[in-house]
Amino acid sequence: MEHIAEIASFAIRLAEPFLALIVIIMAFSSLRGGRRNEHALIVLENEKDNITFPVLYWENSIGRSRSSDIKLSDPTVSRDHAVLLRRNDGWFVTDTGSKSGVYVNGERTVGRHQVAVGDIITCGTTSLVLRRASDTGAAEPRHERKIFPQGIILSFVTLYTALLVLQAVINMGNTDALIPGIAFIVVIWLYYAISRAAFKRLNFELESLAMLLSGTGIILAASHDTRQAYMQLGAMVLGLFIYSFMLWFIEIPDRVMKWHIAISVLTLLLLASTLVIGKSVNGAKNWIIIGPLSVQPSEFAKIAYIFVGASTLDVLQTKKSLAAFIFVSAASVGCLVLMSDFGTAVIFFVTFLIIAFMRSGDIKTVILAITAAVLGALTMLSVKPYIAERFAAWGHVWDYADVAGGYQQVRSLIYSASGGLFGVGLSKGYLQYVFASENDLVFCLMCEELGCIIALLCSFVIGGLMLYARAVTTRSRSTFYSIAACSAGGLLVFQAALNIFGVTDILPLTGVTFPFVSYGGTSMAACWGILAFIKSADERTYARHKPKQRKPKTKPKHTEEYEEDYVEI
Amino acid sequence: MRKTRFRSFPVLMITLAFFAGLIYFIINLAIHSAEWASMPYNGHLSDSDAMEMTGTITDRNGVVLAKTENGKRIYNQDEDIRRACLHVIGDDSVNISTAIQTLYRSELSGYNFILGLGAPDFLQKGADIELTIDSEVQKAAYRALGDYRGAVIVYNYKTGEVICMVSTPTYDPENVPEDIDTNDEYEGAYINRTISASYPPGSTFKLVTASAALEEDPDNENREYDCIGYTEIGGKTINCYSVSGHIDMTGALMNSCNAYFAELTVDLGKDCMLKQAEKMGFNSSWKFDGIETAKSSYDVSEADENAFAWSGVGQYTVLESPINMAIRSCAIANGGKSVTPELIMNINTLFGGSLKQNDSSPSKTMMSKETADKLADMMDYTVENSYGKGYFSNYLDVCAKTGTAEVSDDGLAHAWVTGFTKDEDCPLAFAVIVEHGNSGYQAAIPVAGAVLDAAAEALEGD
Repeated sequence: MEHIAEIASFAIRLAEPFLALIVIIMAFSSLRGGRRNEHALIVLENEKDNITFPVLYWENSIGRSRSSDIKLSDPTVSRDHAVLLRRNDGWFVTDTGSKSGVYVNGERTVGRHQVAVGDIITCGTTSLVLRRASDTGAAEPRHERKIFPQGIILSFVTLYTALLVLQAVINMGNTDALIPGIAFIVVIWLYYAISRAAFKRLNFELESLAMLLSGTGIILAASHDTRQAYMQLGAMVLGLFIYSFMLWFIEIPDRVMKWHIAISVLTLLLLASTLVIGKSVNGAKNWIIIGPLSVQPSEFAKIAYIFVGASTLDVLQTKKSLAAFIFVSAASVGCLVLMSDFGTAVIFFVTFLIIAFMRSGDIKTVILAITAAVLGALTMLSVKPYIAERFAAWGHVWDYADVAGGYQQVRSLIYSASGGLFGVGLSKGYLQYVFASENDLVFCLMCEELGCIIALLCSFVIGGLMLYARAVTTRSRSTFYSIAACSAGGLLVFQAALNIFGVTDILPLTGVTFPFVSYGGTSMAACWGILAFIKSADERTYARHKPKQRKPKTKPKHTEEYEEDYVEI
Repeated sequence: MRKTRFRSFPVLMITLAFFAGLIYFIINLAIHSAEWASMPYNGHLSDSDAMEMTGTITDRNGVVLAKTENGKRIYNQDEDIRRACLHVIGDDSVNISTAIQTLYRSELSGYNFILGLGAPDFLQKGADIELTIDSEVQKAAYRALGDYRGAVIVYNYKTGEVICMVSTPTYDPENVPEDIDTNDEYEGAYINRTISASYPPGSTFKLVTASAALEEDPDNENREYDCIGYTEIGGKTINCYSVSGHIDMTGALMNSCNAYFAELTVDLGKDCMLKQAEKMGFNSSWKFDGIETAKSSYDVSEADENAFAWSGVGQYTVLESPINMAIRSCAIANGGKSVTPELIMNINTLFGGSLKQNDSSPSKTMMSKETADKLADMMDYTVENSYGKGYFSNYLDVCAKTGTAEVSDDGLAHAWVTGFTKDEDCPLAFAVIVEHGNSGYQAAIPVAGAVLDAAAEALEGD
């Protein structure tokens, strides 16, 4: 009997990496297939010579600048003259501080002005007529988005988690992991149903990927400490609420832009309040403890910070100064350094660099910021040399095997190696007895108990989210989403990098969490909030579906149709 | 929006760097995993309820020294063999850091990169390790040491195979005494004294001084001296055990004349002494089969003239491990070239093939053949005329030098003997220390003799 259990557990461990791989392949190829073909939505036709400009994006810059989306070689046109943008209720043109102004049908416009087919937009001496793509022959053949059936992807996530639970039950010899496991599966299907029925969202790839990671973390916790599993599951439910709220809130980027200052203040308040009333746990003063609840406000500040940084194209072209954003960033990083939360400080800083560059394209600002940060770090080290001691073991942890500084990394490496490709099995590991194994060391905990293939696949998901966020920058509905998604993805990747490479002694150990997998309620909930930015960059998230009667009779399987794909204005 | 996409380029770089880091980690893991997994901190291999080592350890004749049956590690049936082999084999813990079961935990438990330590039992077949030691010789050495603390190392100076490596105090790995950490009787029981301890070498160091002199000038062999039982160097006395009268180097070695070698040391000078000591293994350690030995040390940089003179007769701060002493005797027997010992004959894995590491220290030329042969003759002469060949062994022709090393605590002096056999069929180099045995002649030679006789019997069959 004992043999059978052992063999069953081993067989499950061999199967799990394949299931995870199937989920990842299906989800990412579905995300890829679900992207819009970049064909012209409408066209602008030059009145004089009938040259047409296809309008490919939701937000298009018009100007003399070489990198403009619609490039006009007219000396009377400003470099960044105007923005032609599309919203749910039609097309608009915004004068972004041009010298000669923007005229629609001969009238000078102020602010955002709606335009319709046949309207003449005049910039400088160039007049452009707005036309339907189909009228000019620029329209491309109907494109259908090829996707995987979303339910099947989630079924594989379910199968993967179910096998994890089964493995935990076999290895532990009790049913402690059963209830959190079942509860997790119920939660993901419930959210899937809500997402389809109530939010009318057909695509579920990003959620499935995040659930793959969350499930791994929750079952890992369940096999060590059931209480942690319930906490983590609760945090995920909270995360799903935040996720849903955020998706609702950022649906209209122009509305979000009005909250800009309020959110900037909120970011700083979150961090400053932690600095004042925060409690110090394990060396970093980044916890606020209210009764039985302890939260890390800096995790939520990450979300607010991305809000502060992202912006729609017309606002970007009008207000080019980064001063306010730099002020918020510097104050945030300053607060985090004062809390001794260096890991999060570095994450904020990298996110700052990503946003600053995406907004301004100004390499000088980036170099200046990096120089300032390096000087700041050096000053810090000369004033408070004990900070360096925290990282003294970096690069030679084996010399610190039995003392603080190297103890955790040494165990992490040893137990990663012990796990092989398929792991020693849930709850069978030894790293679980090392402090912070379930959060700071979770990558190696996965390596030990689930094998390094699963640990790598989980890391790949984070990197894949980033690649996806970048792949849809021109397909999203606004630069607000593009910038938010790239900085959210960059934040997640950088955080994962600090976590993984910190514990494996490639970078100094800073004690940040592995997104979605690490134990930690605030982190889990905040990661779902950050995922909302990537989800919002997916054009389909806010798509209006074509009414049923307009479906062609021989609809091929596994395709989606959205009203936006067949633009009529 | 094209601009936005273009400016997302740094993000792509971060992601690529992230993937590059993961690849770097995986390559690192693939290269180092076996080494990492076998670290003593690994709970899978060292905790009381840890996964068992499943590989079998045998001696050179196939006698099982340790194996796993029904999930329990069991050792040889003979308690004396268990005790004698403790420091070579180890016990269920990792307390003996140089033991095979400590150093080769991952191999014995069937570690591999693909399955780690997570494979089910039928796939988790540990490697079998075949050692060079002979369990009967081990037992003889253990019995000969009796209640003394000490160490015996015997190895084949042609092949490097270690025939005997015994250290006391020891204990039975099947019944680890409960008071092991508190009872003084077991103090230092986790240390394999042959390789991990070092002692003042006493008169056995005169072989180093003699080789330094002969390397400097072969005519030093004929250097003559009148011993009156003591000499004065640097204003202080250096005593001999007896008055040797008119002697040359051979006579001085046979009589173990301190005055002769003290004067010789001072004449040779610090540089010359240090150079020869380092050639003979001092100030460095040996490595073989994953084992790193304790360093032997010879440092006279701070010594005044008198102290330096004492260093030439193996006192002052000179320290040497038994294995280093055996290796330098090996060089004398071998025409000046040392052979690095080896303890592992073979490591046989489930998939066949041997995993034996090749990280042993290279052999070393410690002295010229001329010097080695002269020293060999002097040691032969010493045994012939001072100890008596028969006192050593009934079968073997032994060349040796004893030593009696004063120790700083008030106990009796440590007793040493080191040397080699001249027999072609049984070429053995050895070193024996009996702690507080008082006299090399009385305490160490009988142990060496008993072990060498046992080794001769054992090797007859080979």
